[in-house]
Amino acid sequence: MLDFLVFAVTMIAIWSVVALSLDLQFGLCGLVNFGQILPFALGAYGPAISAAHGGSISAGLALGLAMAAVGGVLVLAPVGRLSQDYWALVSLGASEIFRLLMVNVTPIAGGQDGTAVARVSNPLAALGLALGLLLAMLLLARRIDRSPLGRLMRVLREDDLLVATLGRNPFRVQALVTVVAWLMAALAGALYAHVVGFVAPSSFSVAETFIVWTALILGGAGSLLGAVVGTAFVQFISVSTRFLAAWSGLPFDLVANLRLGIFGVVLVLVFLLRREGLVPERKVRVDAVGP
Amino acid sequence: MLQILLNSIVYASEIAVIAVGISLAYSVVRFANFAHIQYAVLGGYFTYAARGLGLGFPVATAISAVLTGLVAIIVERLVFHPLRGLRPEAKMIASWGVALAFRSGVAAVFGGAARVFDVETDTYLLGDAVITSLDLAVVATTIAAMVVLQLLLYRTRIGTGLRALADNRDLAATRGIPPDRLTALMWFLAGAFAALGGTLFALETRLQPDMDLQILLPVFAAVTIGGLSSIAGAVAGACILSLAQNIAIGVDFGAVLSSRSWFLPSQFRDTIAVAAMVLVLCFRPRQLRSGGVR
Repeated sequence: MLDFLVFAVTMIAIWSVVALSLDLQFGLCGLVNFGQILPFALGAYGPAISAAHGGSISAGLALGLAMAAVGGVLVLAPVGRLSQDYWALVSLGASEIFRLLMVNVTPIAGGQDGTAVARVSNPLAALGLALGLLLAMLLLARRIDRSPLGRLMRVLREDDLLVATLGRNPFRVQALVTVVAWLMAALAGALYAHVVGFVAPSSFSVAETFIVWTALILGGAGSLLGAVVGTAFVQFISVSTRFLAAWSGLPFDLVANLRLGIFGVVLVLVFLLRREGLVPERKVRVDAVGP
Repeated sequence: MLQILLNSIVYASEIAVIAVGISLAYSVVRFANFAHIQYAVLGGYFTYAARGLGLGFPVATAISAVLTGLVAIIVERLVFHPLRGLRPEAKMIASWGVALAFRSGVAAVFGGAARVFDVETDTYLLGDAVITSLDLAVVATTIAAMVVLQLLLYRTRIGTGLRALADNRDLAATRGIPPDRLTALMWFLAGAFAALGGTLFALETRLQPDMDLQILLPVFAAVTIGGLSSIAGAVAGACILSLAQNIAIGVDFGAVLSSRSWFLPSQFRDTIAVAAMVLVLCFRPRQLRSGGVR
């Protein structure tokens, strides 16, 4: 039981970082990334590709981070200043393409069956790493949130024309946010790979993206604490339905489907009943300084 | 070469019927409805269930279209209507919630296993190309559906009202067009077309809850290529996309470059779809057919 609790908290910490990354993109900057699983997958596939070809752990980490940074810019580039509908579709398409590529091209990292990577064998060490990463990322996100860049991101979220009239380049702000946020998610992905010890395409499906979205919307988009609270809540539902499946004897895939259904209903209900989420965004008041 | 063309037409038909519903909805309510894909899957299952009652294909498909249309209206009443004041992004995210709920519902009721429609098909030879009677029926149904939609939008008062609503909602409302009722009608049409398209898609392949992922990328790529809000654009997008996919998969690239035969593996179908979408977004910031349903 205790082992399981340690593992659950580790997973909550890792997925919280992914939700924080989405919060920077969507909550603060208004970027609708429907492929949020992609930077996480890129981060996890760095170690996997490295392991599959006999590279070291640090090489894998570096590869994952590099792929995420380049991937972010590549995915953002064709969309540029087009509306968010297109960005949503392109990011969704990119995440599916990457997954299909990993399924179909076996030499990269084992194809459908996946690859084993070095595993952090001590669960407490894994927990420490995950909590350390979450703390560091929370501090980074908080720093960005309260900086002039954070304010500019909020302006961009509300009105990109206004950003342009302030003499800033909206696309450059978006690109910067995307690279930083994707690096965060990639770090989480790399840690995930080493905690689980195994990387396969099935862990990075479209459904995972929307579990992160449910967590963020439930917690409160635009609030950093909200991303963590929402993730904890969603992972709690996830874990308890697993127990329910074992206890009630219902078929596993039925319960897995019902779990996704619950997330869908939660997502809709939050929009209908509590739009600002469990932890609403802090309203920022900025006074102009001096004459 | 003829075979590639034939395959493209059949695949484009399946995609186009689903895609026009997304464009129709986008032009009136201004957001990309991801739940639309689930309407198509649901429609396929409704047809399957109606077939199970011993009904013929045309009747079963009609019942499925009506039921799915009603489901779309219910979703509008329960979810999208209360959210109408929100930004398009919010509605788009909420539509994913609806999609997840539907997906799990379908999988829970019908199970995850694939089901196949029992159809007997005849095969015809056109030169060295093969076409089945099922293919012909799919294409004929699609053309008929498109003609009906076109007549409805351009030859009836309801159609004029819908197009006015798409053009300028406030102006249309002040001119006495009932926006809420027409929006409900629009959702009914979108749902019915999704059900028809989903049935055609399932006829050509298999019916299973995972079908949504096979439909999702090509349909949204087609709609995006066509400029999201234009129905004619969605059909054109479906044709362009289907042709690109079938050429990429059907042409022997190896023989062009060297003496060895080499085909692009067919698993890369969706990659072609997304690549076509990205290329269009890169080189054509203006839409293929701009504006709403005019």
